[in-house]
Amino acid sequence: MSYVRGLKCRECGQAYPEKGVHVCETCFGPLEVQYDYAAMRGKVTRESISAGPRNLWRYRDLLPINGTPRSGLHSGMTPLKRARNLEKVLGVRELYIKDDSANYPTWSYKERVVSVAITKAIELGYDTVGCASTGNLANSVAAHAAEAGLRAFVMIPHDLEQGKVLGSLIFNPTMVRIEGNYDDVNRLCSEIADKYRWAIVNVNLRPFYTEGAKTFGFEIAEQMGWKLPKHTVCPTAGGTILPKIYKGYREFIHLGLVEDNQPRIYSAQAAGCNPVVEAIQAGRDLIKPQKPKTIAKSIAIGNPADGFYVVQAVKESGGWGADATDAEIVDAIKLLARTEGTWTEPAGGTTLAATIKLIESGRIPRDESICVCITGNGLKTVEVVVDQLEPPASIPPSLDAFDRLMSGRATTETLPVAV
Amino acid sequence: MAKVNKRVWLTFGSRSLVEKPILWQMARQYPDVSFDIRQASVTAEIGIMAVLFEGEPDEVAGALDYLKSRGLTVEPIEKNMIES
Repeated sequence: MSYVRGLKCRECGQAYPEKGVHVCETCFGPLEVQYDYAAMRGKVTRESISAGPRNLWRYRDLLPINGTPRSGLHSGMTPLKRARNLEKVLGVRELYIKDDSANYPTWSYKERVVSVAITKAIELGYDTVGCASTGNLANSVAAHAAEAGLRAFVMIPHDLEQGKVLGSLIFNPTMVRIEGNYDDVNRLCSEIADKYRWAIVNVNLRPFYTEGAKTFGFEIAEQMGWKLPKHTVCPTAGGTILPKIYKGYREFIHLGLVEDNQPRIYSAQAAGCNPVVEAIQAGRDLIKPQKPKTIAKSIAIGNPADGFYVVQAVKESGGWGADATDAEIVDAIKLLARTEGTWTEPAGGTTLAATIKLIESGRIPRDESICVCITGNGLKTVEVVVDQLEPPASIPPSLDAFDRLMSGRATTETLPVAV
Repeated sequence: MAKVNKRVWLTFGSRSLVEKPILWQMARQYPDVSFDIRQASVTAEIGIMAVLFEGEPDEVAGALDYLKSRGLTVEPIEKNMIES
């Protein structure tokens, strides 16, 4: 049974049937999936969800598919870790890490959105999926399409490093390097989405694709024992995940699955690309485009497609925004690794660094529950930390040499460790 | 040649851009390109418009290049499609 009731324009309210469209023909506003929440009451329960599979499809009643899930059968249900070591370092009472660096099969939160988009693509009769991506999204589309038996086209800027290409190429998509700058790639992808009958997951399937991000919030709530963290800090790039986590929280509250503790949500961006945080802090709804300059490339989007809706969600919840310099991002990556054993990419470092600032500034009280959203894996961005770590000691193969090394270390280990 | 439609977001990213009649100036330079504003939000500091342009391909491309040359941000209605 499906509770989906079609699509609706977020700006003018015009209704559309379920198909591969993403903007309103009248006002060009984005389209949003509509559900029959009244019909869910009493049927979508803690018990019904708990009885579902141990993957993101346990929330399928709140996802926009009508048939059987066709992708992502091993995605989602990533760890929610109580971060007790980090609690001590930061001086807070209750801190959680929602860790999508462990999301299968390509180690980022994109598995959630892509699983829904691929399933929807098959449902709508597409045989080819695609995306334009420099990393995580391409990896995920290529892997999920391979498993689902769909053709996949991945468009990339022509100057993308080889290392970034391999994580997708291994899954055998058709990869196209596009000569030109990012504006040219965007323009071409828009034209391809218009002309070819392909499911470009984050373009013409965007209303369905973005709904997959709600499962990040659903899992936080369920894994906390059917309650919500008071404060959730989330990275912002294109603006997909933050409003959807918040929507997921509101849906659970609306259905009576969790108590309404008036959860607040916060946006984290790199200081070198902070158009959303800048708008939040300036009290503005509209986003001023920026030219990105940061090591956090996975969240370096100068004019986010859904930036306006990030600002709305943050404002509605009573949250805020904070940014972090590149040095603060690297420090936070190292801090998370050495305290909690989680290696995240710069987006996660940005989120933790921003969380620290929000705590230190008093925006987030130290005695309330906090959840930090980690959306990707550090193994994909080794270049960010490769020059930031002390190289290992090298010694001759003798116990004497090892003893000398240990006596030296005993001195250094008494020094305070910089955060 | 067949006419084309282009749906774009125009961003007037500063007070000085908001206060100039740039769309009117574009229309004087490209009189055969029609433009239809579908939604807009304009303040003293920033203006954002969703606009449908229609005309001969070269003329529409020229009009959009003109707007860029005047300092506007011109993006497809989908905005950024390159995700990480």
